[in-house]
Amino acid sequence: MSGKEIDRRSFLKVMGWSGAGAATLSGCDLPTTVTIEEGKETVVSYLMPEEYVIPGQGVWYASTCQQCSAACGVHGRVREGRLLKVEGNPSSPIGRGKLCNMGQASLQAHYNPDRLKKPLLRKGAELQEATWEEALKYIEERAGKKSGVQGNRAAWLTGNVSGHQAVLLQAHMDSFGSISHYVHELINTAVSGLANKDVLGEVQPVYHLDKAKAVLSLGADFLGASTSPVHFATQYASFREAPRGVLIQVEPSMSLTGANADLWIPARPGTEGVLAMGIANALIGQHGVSAANLPAGVKQAIDGYGIDRAADITGVPRTQIEAIAKTLKERAPSLVLTGASAEGHAHGYNIAAAALMLNVLLGNVGQTITSSGDPAFPQLAARAGNTRDLFAFAEGADKGAFDVVFMWGTNPVYTAPAFLNFEDKLSKVPVKVAFAMYRDETVAKADVVLPLSSPYESWGTHLAAYNSDEPTVAVQQPLMQPIYPDTKSVGDVLLALLKMREPNTYSAFNDYYAYLRKAFSELPATHKVGGSDDAMWVQSLQRALLAAKGTPKELSAKPVAVDFPAYEKDAAYPMHLAPAARLGMWDGRNANLPWLQEQPDQISKVVWGSWAELHPKTADRLGVKNGDYISVTSAQGSIEVPVYVYRGVHPDVVAVPIGQGHTDYGRYATGRGVNPLKVLSQVTDGKTGELALYATRVKVAKVEKKKPGINELMVRFGGSESQVGRKLVASVTADSFNRTEGA
Amino acid sequence: MPVNRCTWTSRSLLDAFRGSIVTQIARVGKVLVTGIFVASTVIGANAAVADVPNANPPKGTHKGEDVPQPIEFPHDIHAKINEINCMYCHTYARRSKVAGIPPTSKCMGCHSVIATDRDRIKKLTEYWEKKEPPPWKKVHDMPDYVHFTHEKHLQRFVFNNEGMDVTRVSEVCAFCHGDVKEMTVAKKTKPLNMGFCRRCHEANNGPSDCWHCHK
Repeated sequence: MSGKEIDRRSFLKVMGWSGAGAATLSGCDLPTTVTIEEGKETVVSYLMPEEYVIPGQGVWYASTCQQCSAACGVHGRVREGRLLKVEGNPSSPIGRGKLCNMGQASLQAHYNPDRLKKPLLRKGAELQEATWEEALKYIEERAGKKSGVQGNRAAWLTGNVSGHQAVLLQAHMDSFGSISHYVHELINTAVSGLANKDVLGEVQPVYHLDKAKAVLSLGADFLGASTSPVHFATQYASFREAPRGVLIQVEPSMSLTGANADLWIPARPGTEGVLAMGIANALIGQHGVSAANLPAGVKQAIDGYGIDRAADITGVPRTQIEAIAKTLKERAPSLVLTGASAEGHAHGYNIAAAALMLNVLLGNVGQTITSSGDPAFPQLAARAGNTRDLFAFAEGADKGAFDVVFMWGTNPVYTAPAFLNFEDKLSKVPVKVAFAMYRDETVAKADVVLPLSSPYESWGTHLAAYNSDEPTVAVQQPLMQPIYPDTKSVGDVLLALLKMREPNTYSAFNDYYAYLRKAFSELPATHKVGGSDDAMWVQSLQRALLAAKGTPKELSAKPVAVDFPAYEKDAAYPMHLAPAARLGMWDGRNANLPWLQEQPDQISKVVWGSWAELHPKTADRLGVKNGDYISVTSAQGSIEVPVYVYRGVHPDVVAVPIGQGHTDYGRYATGRGVNPLKVLSQVTDGKTGELALYATRVKVAKVEKKKPGINELMVRFGGSESQVGRKLVASVTADSFNRTEGA
Repeated sequence: MPVNRCTWTSRSLLDAFRGSIVTQIARVGKVLVTGIFVASTVIGANAAVADVPNANPPKGTHKGEDVPQPIEFPHDIHAKINEINCMYCHTYARRSKVAGIPPTSKCMGCHSVIATDRDRIKKLTEYWEKKEPPPWKKVHDMPDYVHFTHEKHLQRFVFNNEGMDVTRVSEVCAFCHGDVKEMTVAKKTKPLNMGFCRRCHEANNGPSDCWHCHK
């Protein structure tokens, strides 16, 4: 019933008269411009509804979010068989009823129009639609029982994986006798994980922000792109309740966490470890903190970094170093954390170890850092990703060590730096199988692609990469029928692969649901809440979790002696590149979600594109203002990106957030912005071999853009950094606050 | 004169878009005068017609299209001849924002024994045995930005309406759905546009905040 056409001009004309005329005209009776057709849409009734179902009223079901590896519990509102909204599940000890922007946007991942709807098979240069039978036959011929592929020649390249999917994946590898499982995640804790293991005896201890009275964060963006953003945010909320905890953030470019800090310090990039040593020096020298629990080598190293020397190296004034030491001493227990911007250097391990040394010195171990205990279900534990595995896989592929690779949950063709030449190396694997919900840069290189159902259409179990002090097995149940009938859940795909290898063991399972029911029924009796298998299963689904309390353990506290290279300037490449990760785009996987694209960046307020943050002094020197283009050039290559001038960045740093610059990732992401990961230098952490994300030196120059394309304009919300004297947010100085309210 | 808002029929306003600006102004002026006249007389007339107490039914008509349905459902046989209450089948109307198409099990509740030899019932039974609901076509709809709730309207005009007899609910349904008792398959006979809604809200003291419907 779109009726007769009314153009905008005529409409405004009539509206204009009404304003000038005696009475108010209204468009209430205009034929609607929205097509409400009679008899065109089908309205399907229930055949026989459940008693509790009332059309028009939503029912909430529990499941688990899959937008990152935190495994937050969710509640999804389902109406007439359609998922409409996702919120946090209050039963989940991870999110405690809260959900982040990425979790909210998971709805768009589910309904994304770019989802793969059919299997794809490579025919020459193109991937063409095929049937499941054809795709599985292709795989069976090349990686089935009779294929002759043996041992490590069958490789897996995945993102973080846990739960029963990890068990099936392991069984598939075991059927080859392979140990070639490479887990690649750009946003990871591999460096601090090794330091934790060496000092505390545990890779991933539990942090208690809520018990700390002061937090010193060396680049840990725990509210943003971290291992468990929602969990840390809820802890942070109680940390900030009275008596209010103090947060000190040290990082080269401001993160969401930095923007919340009481004191934000841009130390010279890569000198965060020296800062920790300087603080230790001040604690021992000025506040009489006992160094008795530090090994002699560590004490000696601290002595080598007097406060003045530390101030000189880090660029942080002596008074600030002393103030940090004072705060940490007076506000025990405190907590010192490290994150990507501190760990992403050639000596990243040393920086993480120095931060742990501070925790030991301050007596935080056992207080704000405790053991996560021995896991209840080690076989389900998360295989946490890193970048070292990507290098190892690339080397193997290059040498022709693999006959077949199964890829899932990671997009290394996008995230790998240019120096790795990943695309070329990947192409040397003769058979590349990918399972994915969307076509991305890596999927585009595969030989056969199996389309996955969305997490809200699939069964699964997950163990968080970061466990809270109440570890659980997070249960993922489908919230609705698959939108596309020709997609399968990850579990079902894994089962299909296993049936090719081990038909005797796995043909008994019709689907992944049957497998999970069997697995749950085989749990030890102590976990059978409710008394019977069915009762336990129903209860697990109601709350979407199963308690998995581990065996308690004590942490050790043995700091390791580390030293730091002298800070060196680079005349050819005088600036540091900070490829910051954000809650939103994450490692680029969310660039195809319009809600996250149009959500203004937490710091710059830029939408739908890339930008480079420059300090006003640096911008002045280059003669650039907001929106002007600069080139950021490393020894590996160059990117061109518009400038956002901001004081929350070290003057020697140019920060280009990651996530954009996709070349083949659907209609929303492709051809938008730049990917700073491509220009990273070949620097790895000396101890772990992890890619040193923040170690790239660059030079920056102004670029004249005559006529930028529509995707090259920098679009910012907000417009002004200043309140222009309007006192929108009233503020007082700390001095006057202390005078009136007491310190 | 709040009553005067939204009193334009779509045709009169569309006429205003034709011709020169001068004649348009003249026409708008003329229509404006008739509009005021109509608005002030219509409400009194409504009250006389309505059988529902404490209600001024909305005015307006719409010449709906014939919508072919998979089974030609006879509303007249059910609602008029057999005097079945609308809410017996549209059971969700009083509980939810949508009235709901009756589940197939509801049809079969009677028709596994009643009139089983009729062609239409045989067709229905076929669907039932295939475990598929018939693919009914939608006749009445609202744009996504309009929040309409059956439940609230039934509360106002039936359940919380003194002197209203629940057995006569069809007269309230008829406000927006027309005289369904006289139809076989349903047909849209009311415009269901914003003017139609607003006039009724004004005449019956319904809420007039934008966000009551646009939320």
